[in-house]
Amino acid sequence: MEKQTPDTEIGPEVFETLKYIIDPEIGINIVDLGLVYTVSLEGDNLHVQLTLTTPGCPMSGTIVMATEQILLKRFPDLNAKVELVWTPMWTTDMISEEGMQQLNSMS
Amino acid sequence: MSTASTSNSPGKWVVLPHYAFAAVAFLVLSILLLFSTDAFSGHYFHPKLLTLTHVAVLGWATMIIFGALYQLLPVVLDCKLYSEKLAVYTFILLGTGTILLAYSFWYFQLGWSMHAAACALVISFVLFNINVIQTARKAPKWTIEADFIVTSAIWLLVTGIVGLLMAVNFTLPFLPLDHVHYLKLHAHIGMAGWFLLLIIGVGAKLIPMFLLAHPEDTRKLSWAYNLINAGLVLFILDHMVLHTKLLPLYGGLVVVGVLLFLLYLRDAKNTMQRKDIDLGMQQTFVALVLLLLPLALLFVVSTDLGLPQRLLSSIYLVYGISVFLGFVSALILGQTFKTLPFIVWMHAYENHVGRYKTPLPKDMYSHKLLRWQNIFYLVGFVVFVAGVLLREQQVILAGAISFSITAILYTANVFQMLLHKAHNLKPLTYGKANA
Repeated sequence: MEKQTPDTEIGPEVFETLKYIIDPEIGINIVDLGLVYTVSLEGDNLHVQLTLTTPGCPMSGTIVMATEQILLKRFPDLNAKVELVWTPMWTTDMISEEGMQQLNSMS
Repeated sequence: MSTASTSNSPGKWVVLPHYAFAAVAFLVLSILLLFSTDAFSGHYFHPKLLTLTHVAVLGWATMIIFGALYQLLPVVLDCKLYSEKLAVYTFILLGTGTILLAYSFWYFQLGWSMHAAACALVISFVLFNINVIQTARKAPKWTIEADFIVTSAIWLLVTGIVGLLMAVNFTLPFLPLDHVHYLKLHAHIGMAGWFLLLIIGVGAKLIPMFLLAHPEDTRKLSWAYNLINAGLVLFILDHMVLHTKLLPLYGGLVVVGVLLFLLYLRDAKNTMQRKDIDLGMQQTFVALVLLLLPLALLFVVSTDLGLPQRLLSSIYLVYGISVFLGFVSALILGQTFKTLPFIVWMHAYENHVGRYKTPLPKDMYSHKLLRWQNIFYLVGFVVFVAGVLLREQQVILAGAISFSITAILYTANVFQMLLHKAHNLKPLTYGKANA
């Protein structure tokens, strides 16, 4: 479910960077799990919307902080802001093909 | 898109001491089992059996459930825990009460130590209820899981109050009927009201989450909640007032309720996306299978089948063992490795994720120890139950030895996690993330 505003050339680079954040329970990165909903850039403000596999997930603070930290490190000239959202609710249909392959390879 | 708050997790000093205490209590329990093989040849109202039961249900099971619940309640209710300070006081009272009560039962000291223990435990349960209910009041959305958890906390308090009355009645008799009558009440409110409802409430949320499944229809859970509570209330009413022969009917309501919960989990399993069932979840499924044993025995102990008294006494013992050393212990032995690694990981690596390469929670404990733990547990349980049914002390001892090995392996793994520190982290370098 990768979405970007049309003029966000930085989008693919952001998604690639966020693949370093691994969901600690599942062991798959948050991009291939479909947790990153949107990436947008307005001026110097980089805005990322992401969700979690379940509301109230105890890892929410950790994942949000990790996302912000990695974006600040990778794009030091931008103001990165990460927003946690619950709608649309995450379902397993949002897992990418690569993510499904990783899940299946774990069996 | 609706926005959400970040982590509601409590501090690690609220949660982790519960896991440490529970692991030590499990080890103590297994050692006490080694010295209690003679106690399994008679009636369940025996000082050693009362000690073992209370170390198991309070020091081991309730202690770890309290700790885990402070972490999980914010997940289930989607809000912060009402008071971390109250949780610490609850821990101190539960720990002190458990140690005093175990001492009192083992040496059968029915005076001040037992009274003090019972009072400490009831106060602990009152504080726990305040924390749970006040947290639930802040929940943005009420769910059936919240119903299970809040109701179970109330039943825990009722169990504790009945226990306190019995403790006082030992030295200042005022209850009209004999102790065994109230012991049945105390035990069944604790088993069905506290453990069963709590485990269903938390399990209904966590098990699908760990399986990557999203069962949306919660009607089975609602029926399970209604049936189990109805069965329990009718049992109490009958046991205290009506004295009919309808006990199997009330037991049937509880059994149907549990089966509906199991069907709910089957629905989740049918839609799960994860193909890898790790050792923690394997042990959880073992626990769910073991749950069928006390459900079957419930009909035997509640129906007059004309069985010889000697056999019936053994079945009563196996009934209790299958709940506490069977279902509840098996579940804890599995779920510890689905919760504790994440709690420790979160506190150790929260500030490092996204900047350094960090291990995953599953890398923080020994899978080899866990595998052997699960094997020794299952062997120990089967042998122990066989020993109790056969009334063979040597067989019981063999089961107790297997349980002791289980406890040593479990405690070693738990303390490996509790003492884990982040060290020698390497900064992230960017390339192809999935490469």
